[in-house]
Amino acid sequence: MGFLPNGTFVMASIAYASALGLLSMGLSLTFVTTRIANFAHATIGMIGAFVLTLLVDRVYYTGPSYQIFITAPVLSFLLAGAFAVFMYIVIMKPLADRGNGVTELMIATFAVDIILINILSYLLNAIRGVHIPKLIGLNVSSWDARIHCCGVILQASYIVLPIAAILLTLAFHFFLTKTKFGVAMRATIENPDLAEVMGVNTNMVYTVSWFISGGLAGVAGSLLAFSLKDTSPNDSALIIVSVFAGSIVGGLSHVYWGLIGGFIVGLMEKLGTGLLDNFYNQLLAPALGWTSFSMINYEKLMSLGLVVVILLFAPEGLAGVDWGKYLRKIKRRW
Amino acid sequence: MAFLEVKSLNAGYGRFHILFDVDFTVNMGEILVVVGPNGSGKSTTLKAIFGISTVYSGQIIFDGEDITKLPAHIKAKIGLAYLPQTSNVFTELNVEENLRMAGYTLPPEDVEDRMQEVLEIFEFLKAKLKDKARTLSGGQRQLLGMAMMLMRKPDLLMFDEPTAGLSPKAARDVIDKIIWLRDELGKAVILVEQNAKLGLEVGDNALLLVSGRISFKGTARELLENKDLGKLYLGLAK
Amino acid sequence: MNIEFWIFSDTWLILVLSYFIVTLSLNLEAGYTGIPNFGKALFVFMGAWAAQGIGIRLAALFMQHYDPKDSSLLVERLNSMLGQNYHSLVEAAGSTEANRIVAPHIYDFLFAHPALDITLFIVILLVTLGLAAAMGLIASYAALRLREEYLAILLLSFSELVVMVIFNQTDSLNGGPKGLWAVEFYPDNRLFALILGAVISLLVFIYAERLGNSPMGRTMRAVRDDEVAAGVFGRDVAMTRLKVIMISSMIAALAGLVYIEAKPSAQTLTFNRVIWTFFPWAFLILGGMANNKGAIVGVLVFMVLKRFVEFYVPQMAAGHSAAIQMLAAYLSNIIVGLLILLVLYFRPQGVLPEKPSKTMDLDVVLEETK
Ligand SMILES: Nc1ncnc2c1ncn2[C@@H]1O[C@H](COP(=O)(O)OP(=O)(O)OP(=O)(O)O)[C@@H](O)[C@H]1O
Ligand SMILES: [Mg+2]
Repeated sequence: MGFLPNGTFVMASIAYASALGLLSMGLSLTFVTTRIANFAHATIGMIGAFVLTLLVDRVYYTGPSYQIFITAPVLSFLLAGAFAVFMYIVIMKPLADRGNGVTELMIATFAVDIILINILSYLLNAIRGVHIPKLIGLNVSSWDARIHCCGVILQASYIVLPIAAILLTLAFHFFLTKTKFGVAMRATIENPDLAEVMGVNTNMVYTVSWFISGGLAGVAGSLLAFSLKDTSPNDSALIIVSVFAGSIVGGLSHVYWGLIGGFIVGLMEKLGTGLLDNFYNQLLAPALGWTSFSMINYEKLMSLGLVVVILLFAPEGLAGVDWGKYLRKIKRRW
Repeated sequence: MAFLEVKSLNAGYGRFHILFDVDFTVNMGEILVVVGPNGSGKSTTLKAIFGISTVYSGQIIFDGEDITKLPAHIKAKIGLAYLPQTSNVFTELNVEENLRMAGYTLPPEDVEDRMQEVLEIFEFLKAKLKDKARTLSGGQRQLLGMAMMLMRKPDLLMFDEPTAGLSPKAARDVIDKIIWLRDELGKAVILVEQNAKLGLEVGDNALLLVSGRISFKGTARELLENKDLGKLYLGLAK
Repeated sequence: MNIEFWIFSDTWLILVLSYFIVTLSLNLEAGYTGIPNFGKALFVFMGAWAAQGIGIRLAALFMQHYDPKDSSLLVERLNSMLGQNYHSLVEAAGSTEANRIVAPHIYDFLFAHPALDITLFIVILLVTLGLAAAMGLIASYAALRLREEYLAILLLSFSELVVMVIFNQTDSLNGGPKGLWAVEFYPDNRLFALILGAVISLLVFIYAERLGNSPMGRTMRAVRDDEVAAGVFGRDVAMTRLKVIMISSMIAALAGLVYIEAKPSAQTLTFNRVIWTFFPWAFLILGGMANNKGAIVGVLVFMVLKRFVEFYVPQMAAGHSAAIQMLAAYLSNIIVGLLILLVLYFRPQGVLPEKPSKTMDLDVVLEETK
């Protein structure tokens, strides 16, 4: 089984997939509450990457530290969440109140994206004392603690990211089902007018949903920045496409399906491409005498393929698939 | 002064002007029945009072206070309640969560007690507390909506066709409940009723809406006995 | 050619012409028919691709066929120079290392053979339209099934992913990150692009104006305003949407062709969502939906403002400290973003609102049907 990827690669893929899952979940959240498809979402996540860089540069400059896995996500959650709230209250809501429709609001999020990318790039350059407007990489991966385990060396963030994703999802689930405000959020998602009539301040619910969405993105961005080599705020332009692909695969109508969709897309992009590459270059090509070529640059082809398959066979996404029907079919078989 | 006073209300949805200069009052311990043909603006009237349709002009005075511009969730807090005609329960929440949502504005320590009281009245819900509301039948949902109305003790209750889709017996129970609200608890009630005869028999005052305008205002008895209007708009034969 | 008018250059002018074309085509879809096409960049890219990855190979094929001696000579020299082993001129023209070297030779060959040159131009025009139509067909598959916001998101992701995949394709499709030089048809390529852009803009404008006032235009509006009613009135909603998407996709691809002729070496990622999807939407919203003159005004106003900001903000910082100069570079982008937000805030109806379409006088109709 020489074509199976090594443990480090698998963990790196799972970590990336977890980050995409968190991002897609947040994207779906603000979409189901406020009907805004937020194209600045990945850049809001970059606020997390920015916070991490700041911590590495100013606080933990002596070397890797495990403390950073608490401070970076927590600060990122708060800061990115705060920006998302600012974006909703100061920009999106007034625009919506002026009678702008779904598409106009999408344009507005594009504009916010441009603005935020440039602000972050400026701040990053200013903090690092670079005085020419060029893209500089965050280059923080060497501050990630290394774990020696089971014969491989892992970056600690590969383990922290999936754990953070699981914990945050559990916490979010607890919030939605066990707290009064969380139930009100679910009620508002289903029927905002009725929720208002019951006494729920739906605008408050929307604001909180933006905070959570931004916060999740911030956590994902801060931890993901460890494993992205040479990443810069502009990279959000590439990541956002995969985030949307994840939400589309999930169906955009459901928060948890967004998480699953993002995870699947992330896994396909990294692990799927890697497996295919190994399979072709180490088994198929040598056996058949074909020329080998690297497929690592084709990871977006995986998300494209997924999106197209979903479009053809399940336009409502995985959330729209009648899973019960298939389960019953399988049960009947056995 | 009347408990609820609606003064020359003009309302609609965005650009669609539906209600024109609607005036009426409701007192404590009184049922106002609103009747009219389909599309005449009955539901819109209730929504306008609650603030979930657009109010262009006019005044809504509740308990001596002008509440026209208050957001809906504040109105819920100060004692208004409204049972919408359709989508009046949260189908994706279970029955218990629905009842908790209905008690959203109550102090947390009161919620359990209220829920027990309401479940005593709507016994069938006890067995379904953990079921999603979408698994209930249409009539059961209507009754759940009614139960939700009773969760917090509002002073003004607005029902939009609460008996629609119910069996005659269940419909009678709902109407009896509404009478009980008026007689025993002294609440102010606005009742929109498709079944004009049933509604007018229990109502004190009545309002006939036609094309967004009031074409009759008086006691329910007067309207019931008005042969012309009854035949023309309410299907009350002879 | 090199014109410079105050702070506006010829490349700027060509970009504006390309934007006219894209924005008019977006107006047909979004303004008249209510199809939120957020994948415009993809269709624009089809025009560029037709002239780049596909066009340069076609041109090489022409040269190889009509001038085999020179072609093989060129390939031989190339092989010894780069230490490569190209078998044909087509292969060399399509490889990132050799493309920049052979492209000028291919241009010269074409300029020397006007008949071939014109034929190739027509072929590439057809390729452009064909590619765009094919992509339009795929897009319409989604457009017939999905509701507004979902469709918008899907088209955007689809467009970005396709462009990204082609971008990452290191050799075969479009030269990967470096890109391939596009085929040129006239020694002064920018003059050519300018004239081509002006002619196409004018034709598209006339076409869009006529379409808007035709029975088809009224059907489009009916589809936009009330899909259900339009269906009931026997107007085939699906067919209308399909037609509009196909036509607009083809028009948008022409913009890509114009642009790539002015900048033959543009990278694939130049055709991204900000430049070719988001800006045209902003122009359209600024100018007013369902109004062709508005679309033109929107492009002009916005582009002029953008040019001012991009020109004067760095100017103001000149002479100040390096930190301030850097801030200025970022600031001009930020101001462009703010400009769009302001447009959305103050002008939900656009500069020029939609005017009622011209209909025939009722008397005339009655007279004619007698
Ligand atoms: N959300 C809305 N947007 C625009 N117009 C609406 C909306 N809801 C209702 N209308 C219009 O308002 C008018 C009055 O509707 P309303 O629901 O108040 O009637 P109603 O008297 O309650 O009728 P019914 O007896 O059928 O319930 C109708 O013409 C309807 O088409
Ligand atoms: Mg009604």
